[in-house]
Amino acid sequence: MFLLTDIRAILRKTAPHHRLGPGERKEVEILLSNLEKQVDLLKRELLA
Amino acid sequence: MKCAGDIDVRDVEEAYINIDPIQAGGRLTPGAMKALIAYCDGYSVCDNCRKPNRLDYIQKPPIDRFHRELAEFVGMDAARVVPGARRGFQAVADTYVEKGDPVLITALSHYTEVLAIEARGGVPREIPRSPGNIITPDAAADKIEAVVRETGKTPPLLFLDHVDYSYGNLHPAREIARVAHQYDIPVLLNGAYTVGVMPVDGKDLGVDFVVGSGHKSMAAPAPSGVLAARSERASEVFRTTTTRTDVTSRTFGIKEVEMMGCTLMGVTLVAMMASFPAVKERVGTWDAELGNTGLVVDALRRISGTVIVSQYPRQHTLTRVDTTQSFDRVAAAHRKKGFFFTSALKSRGIAGIIPGATRVWKFNCYGITRAQAEYVAESFLAIARENGIPVS
Repeated sequence: MFLLTDIRAILRKTAPHHRLGPGERKEVEILLSNLEKQVDLLKRELLA
Repeated sequence: MKCAGDIDVRDVEEAYINIDPIQAGGRLTPGAMKALIAYCDGYSVCDNCRKPNRLDYIQKPPIDRFHRELAEFVGMDAARVVPGARRGFQAVADTYVEKGDPVLITALSHYTEVLAIEARGGVPREIPRSPGNIITPDAAADKIEAVVRETGKTPPLLFLDHVDYSYGNLHPAREIARVAHQYDIPVLLNGAYTVGVMPVDGKDLGVDFVVGSGHKSMAAPAPSGVLAARSERASEVFRTTTTRTDVTSRTFGIKEVEMMGCTLMGVTLVAMMASFPAVKERVGTWDAELGNTGLVVDALRRISGTVIVSQYPRQHTLTRVDTTQSFDRVAAAHRKKGFFFTSALKSRGIAGIIPGATRVWKFNCYGITRAQAEYVAESFLAIARENGIPVS
């Protein structure tokens, strides 16, 4: 949820068109990658 | 999309540049949003409440430290969090105003100051504004003299809005406080539009109380705020209970009467705390905020017939505009009437102006990026050009 909050903050900063600069793009890539890892972890721990 | 039952998801901050006049300074920081998730339950900050069982003594999370830092932040000796600035007004009015007392406010005071006085049976007396919509020390002195002459009483309190809600004008607080103190009248500075967005030092301004709004200017959820006082006044407004009940002989420790015991519990307080480091930092970039506002204001001034009604150059981001001779003329002949303007803004991803307003309206560019400010400025110009209004 915290990672999603960070993504939400970027959406706010770049409204209304959400055209990401190079720095923001990199930031979102890292956030999404971490989010995927967290989702995988949840799957393993809750559904195993 | 619904977030629960029939409650829509609110995405105005993500989908639009929101220039609503009262919402700008209350947008949460990411830290506050995270704290809000973690502390969502009712008494969530009370897990480690120990004797003497009062909110401002809790060490984990560090609420006690937050209170000390909050007082320091506004240049006062003691601070308490309150459920909105209005509850700060109420606590001070409850302490000093008696039935029939004349109480000084200004012609630009927020209505909640009036209600706080009315609740005590006091009589609000307004210091008039100048033609430029500024409250001057001379006007304050004249009003005090008139009220004393007329009622035979010295007002027990003066409420002064540091920046008013109507024009976003910055009033000479230091000079007005100096005048009030010549008559031994304590001054409450309503910093709802200043504490948390621009530097405010209560002692430097010479006021007795500073009130701020969490949800208006401190990146906190509603209702939240701060009431800060000088030490000599803190013992009065933050006085503790002395009651012993008659049947059970109960006493209530060090609960503060005006605070009704504890004030903010749970998400409002913890989110306010989570935003605080960013809030302390952002008051240092106030000039950049004024720069962004100046950019938008200058664009509006280029639109023929548009008048910036607030003081100019701008000293605050909240700004009042009169477009009676520009956008309102277009509205008269437009099929959407006055809604053409906000509709055009919305189609460009800009929200926050009252739908249908084309005469006198307000906006606040606080907290948006430079790129967003440039976009807002360009959008106003583009809407004017598209509708045949000359742009210089």
